[in-house]
Amino acid sequence: MSVTNSGLKEKKVTHRNKVLTKRQKMMKRLFMRFDLYLMLLIPIAWYAIFQYGPMYGLQIAFKDFNPAFGFAGSEWVGLENFERFFSSYYFERLLWNTFSISILSLLIAFPIPIFLALLINEIRSTTLKKTLQNVTYVPHFISVVVIVGMLDLFLDPNGGFINIILSSIGVEPIPFMEKPEWFKTIFIGSNIWQTMGWQSIIYVASLAGIDPQLYEAAKMDGASRLQRIMHVSLPGILPVIVIMLILDIGQFMNVGFEKILLMQNNLNLESSDVIQTFVYRNGILNGDYSYSAAIGLFNSLINFSLLILVNHYARKKAETSLW
Amino acid sequence: MRKHLGLILFIVLCTFLIAGCSGSKNVSEDYVSEGPSESFHEEGFPIVDDEITLNIFARKSPPNGPYNEMSMFNKYEEMTNINVEWDDVPQDGFAERKNLEFSSGDLPDVFYKSSISQLEAVKYGTSGILIPLEDLLENYAPNLTALFEEYPEIKSSITAPDGHIYALPAILTLNSARTDKIWVNQTWLDNLGLEQPTSPDELVEVLTAFRDDDPNGNGEQDEIPMTFRNWAQLMNSIIGSWGMIDQMGNHLMVESDEVKFWLTSDKFKEYLQFLNMLYSENLVDRGLFTQEESKFVGNMASGNVGIFWNQTTDAFDKVKQDYEGMSPIVGPYDDQLYPSAPVARDFGTFAITSVNQHPHETMRWIDYFFSEEGSIFFRYGAEGETFNYGDDGLPQYTDDVLNSDLGLGPAIGQFTPWPGGGAPQLVTERNASAINPPEAQDAQGKLDPYLPEAIYGAPIFDEDTTKEVDQIRQDMDQYYEETTSKFITGDLSFDQWEEYVSTIENMGLDRLQEIYQEAYDLNYK
Amino acid sequence: MKQTVKISDGKTFDVVVTLITVVIILIVLYPLIFVVSASLSDPARVINGEMFLWPVGFTLDAYAEIFKNSEIWTGYRNTIFYTVFGTIINIGLTTLAAYPLSRRDLPGRNVFMFLITFTMFFHGGLIPTYLIVQDLGMVDTIWAMVIPNAIATYNLIVMRTYFQTSIPWELQEAAMIDGCSNIKLLFKVILPLSKPIMAVMVLFYAVGHWNAFFNALIYLREETLYPLQLILREILLVNQLGGTDAAGQFGMDEKILLGQSIKYALVVVASVPVLIVYPFVQKHFVKGVMIGSIKG
Repeated sequence: MSVTNSGLKEKKVTHRNKVLTKRQKMMKRLFMRFDLYLMLLIPIAWYAIFQYGPMYGLQIAFKDFNPAFGFAGSEWVGLENFERFFSSYYFERLLWNTFSISILSLLIAFPIPIFLALLINEIRSTTLKKTLQNVTYVPHFISVVVIVGMLDLFLDPNGGFINIILSSIGVEPIPFMEKPEWFKTIFIGSNIWQTMGWQSIIYVASLAGIDPQLYEAAKMDGASRLQRIMHVSLPGILPVIVIMLILDIGQFMNVGFEKILLMQNNLNLESSDVIQTFVYRNGILNGDYSYSAAIGLFNSLINFSLLILVNHYARKKAETSLW
Repeated sequence: MRKHLGLILFIVLCTFLIAGCSGSKNVSEDYVSEGPSESFHEEGFPIVDDEITLNIFARKSPPNGPYNEMSMFNKYEEMTNINVEWDDVPQDGFAERKNLEFSSGDLPDVFYKSSISQLEAVKYGTSGILIPLEDLLENYAPNLTALFEEYPEIKSSITAPDGHIYALPAILTLNSARTDKIWVNQTWLDNLGLEQPTSPDELVEVLTAFRDDDPNGNGEQDEIPMTFRNWAQLMNSIIGSWGMIDQMGNHLMVESDEVKFWLTSDKFKEYLQFLNMLYSENLVDRGLFTQEESKFVGNMASGNVGIFWNQTTDAFDKVKQDYEGMSPIVGPYDDQLYPSAPVARDFGTFAITSVNQHPHETMRWIDYFFSEEGSIFFRYGAEGETFNYGDDGLPQYTDDVLNSDLGLGPAIGQFTPWPGGGAPQLVTERNASAINPPEAQDAQGKLDPYLPEAIYGAPIFDEDTTKEVDQIRQDMDQYYEETTSKFITGDLSFDQWEEYVSTIENMGLDRLQEIYQEAYDLNYK
Repeated sequence: MKQTVKISDGKTFDVVVTLITVVIILIVLYPLIFVVSASLSDPARVINGEMFLWPVGFTLDAYAEIFKNSEIWTGYRNTIFYTVFGTIINIGLTTLAAYPLSRRDLPGRNVFMFLITFTMFFHGGLIPTYLIVQDLGMVDTIWAMVIPNAIATYNLIVMRTYFQTSIPWELQEAAMIDGCSNIKLLFKVILPLSKPIMAVMVLFYAVGHWNAFFNALIYLREETLYPLQLILREILLVNQLGGTDAAGQFGMDEKILLGQSIKYALVVVASVPVLIVYPFVQKHFVKGVMIGSIKG
């Protein structure tokens, strides 16, 4: 997020620095950077050891990994693990389900925490404000097993309260959990319910960081509350929104696999089978680590490419980016 | 950014290369190096005079207590002079931990109750991590050898294509330990004046009466005519009456030495149509496609089900007087088969690794549990402490165990590892009173005439064939599961049958048939 | 004129805001009450859909089953320790990385950012990571619970974003011109202005430690070191049984049923402490810091 409306600012900086003598400037720069690098030293060492250290493990995607021979010694099979995945009868369906769940989540689930944060920011009563925050925060701590257990109960065709309500207005009971056409709605809907409060926290914190003088100024200018949201609040948290969006798009291929697995059954597979559940069935359960690693790498490549793309675009259009 | 890309790639590549070199490790080739230790006895106890220690990696199933506190093993330690250091790992995360054992260069002496898969056995066997057991078996395992002779299919099903045995199975000679019994609510039948059904038509008639005629007499139509644990049980339980069961762990039958897959046959279609009719008429519990295990257990315990399938009576103990065993119905083509698990039911329960300094002692250590005396000791513990012999001469757990607050499974699991399944053990009619009460014996009696002559276990393929089979099955099994489910619920009409058949065929059915035929010829013919 | 329009506008606005708030609270609250009620109910009746809002067949069996397990107290103690100690390390290291990387005058920072982001997507997998932790002698020690996860890249990026966007660059510049060292700048200017983000980071990391179980599963052998979540998972598993064959379920029927209410009770037992702490953290980012007043 180099907030690079900086072309102008940087010029200002250099201009101001010219006032100092050259020697002073050099000393200052060196010293300045010296301790910045010093600060970075431990984190970078950590990344080198714990993140880049194990990177050699990536090669098993191209090998037939056998622990007896280690990573280097296992047989090289090239793209065989990938081909096996691409040639699956279900490849297109897996891709489509993964994509569509991801896109729908981005379109529907992404904006809601922002809306919630803005709402929280506008509530005048402290009690109400705190209640809303606390209540929406709690579902984050409910395990997926319980969430899916509740979905089963609430949506049960006989006796689930949703179907009781439906039948009272004359609608036939719907076995929601068995219907492919309902799967995505239920999945994303319950995700929103569970995560909106938690995800709004970062936006609430950012809103807290907006200079109150800006609101005062807007008020003076006669801006309505809605206008103040549009012209002060939103622009104030826009960089954070953009970064969150970039990070979310970087998770494009990862779609809450544990929960999907629990919600899956033979009847809704048509729309619930995603790449990660496929890997789970055919790689992880069988102990086929190379196959799992290959599909994982495929996902990561797509995710990372998307991130680079979005990051590039965001730097140009929103002047906010990761690098 | 772009100008740094080269640099970044360079750094990443370097890490790759440097670390890649350090990632390899050596496997010692010199297993079964020396003979047994000097104080080794070829028979009787103790096994060794001078105490030795084995490091054993074991799975701790949910009902199991800590292994080093199991009184049975502690007693066995005194008997054998073999001290065991247990590394017992909870079920949660067990697969990852097992894999780390294989990879981190820190092998245990033995993998116990570790669910070694067939692929793992072949892979780690051929690469020298697991040692071949057949010579040890022949020389130091009289009990296992006797069992192999009595049931030749055991040895064929655990021998890898290279002729070696890398892992031992659990052996269940008791039929009742390998089947789900058919339980029918006799009280309901009596209330309605009906007999146990013997044909598809009678089954429908009985189920319809269960559904409509209020057999429990509470004035409400709340009865569940018939239920199943899940989709798999639904598919497998009645299919024998249409002349099909699973052999070699796949959807095939063996007729006069010929392997035949039945999942595209017309008979199979008719079977699915029958299930579809049951489903659409609400004669079978519709929740079975989505229910959790607990729902099924709850249904059994409630006594409000007409017919269901379960191994024994433990899950519906309080209402078991209402239920009786039933024979499979006679199908439209006079078929009356009933499926069963193979005698060597659990594969990969026990394996010895190359770091084990005492393979001979280890083999004698495990073989005892496959004798009659040893298998009772294994499953029941010490006489007078955890069990007593009943009037029938069979071992019975003490009341302390049977009435424990922990619940029966966990109570037994405190002194022996068998609850939770997958242990290296022998189950016979002499040591199974707990899982085979009189009711279950009666129910089994009604199935025995209809069990196939032999049930072949899933064969072990070599690594390349395993890959090929996996490649085909990753699609076919799923397609089969998904499509048959939809045929049953009516989400897919039988007009689509031809498409189903051609899709299955295109996924490589012929090739699969070939592979299984070869495996059959090699192992079982 | 303008004034009156604004006031009435504000009134309707408040009404709408309150209305939406109440609706959201009700929607979210219902399942929460359901969880608590289900944990206090007869499991068989919950499965049969007889419970809607308040407990049916009131029973404390699930809680009794959980708390009869003496290890649970050790688990609480360990988890609190891992959470506090781990979060301190997290915040320290993340700040050390986030601050320099937020500085636009740090040469090569984009390279660092790229390399750091890269690790969010590509990692060597379980085995190589385990081998490193093993080589460092951390297996079966508390260090395995706090060091391999010392930095969460996601959090690092969030923190850096905040430093960059919410703290005016001019302010940092001015301080530097006054001869302020970077360390001093961080502690005297940046951190006091970053209370909201620090509160968020403490929350994110602490909750992460609180819920973590996988590292414990892999790296810990000694049961006295087990965190709460691992012990709770074992209790749940004993009572639920992970889909083994029917033969593995012998004698487990009572436990399987009890498992249904236990899974609800576990949510309550595991989350209550975090819920109690939340309001204390919350106040830091609700009020925020008046940057204006400091500047002024």
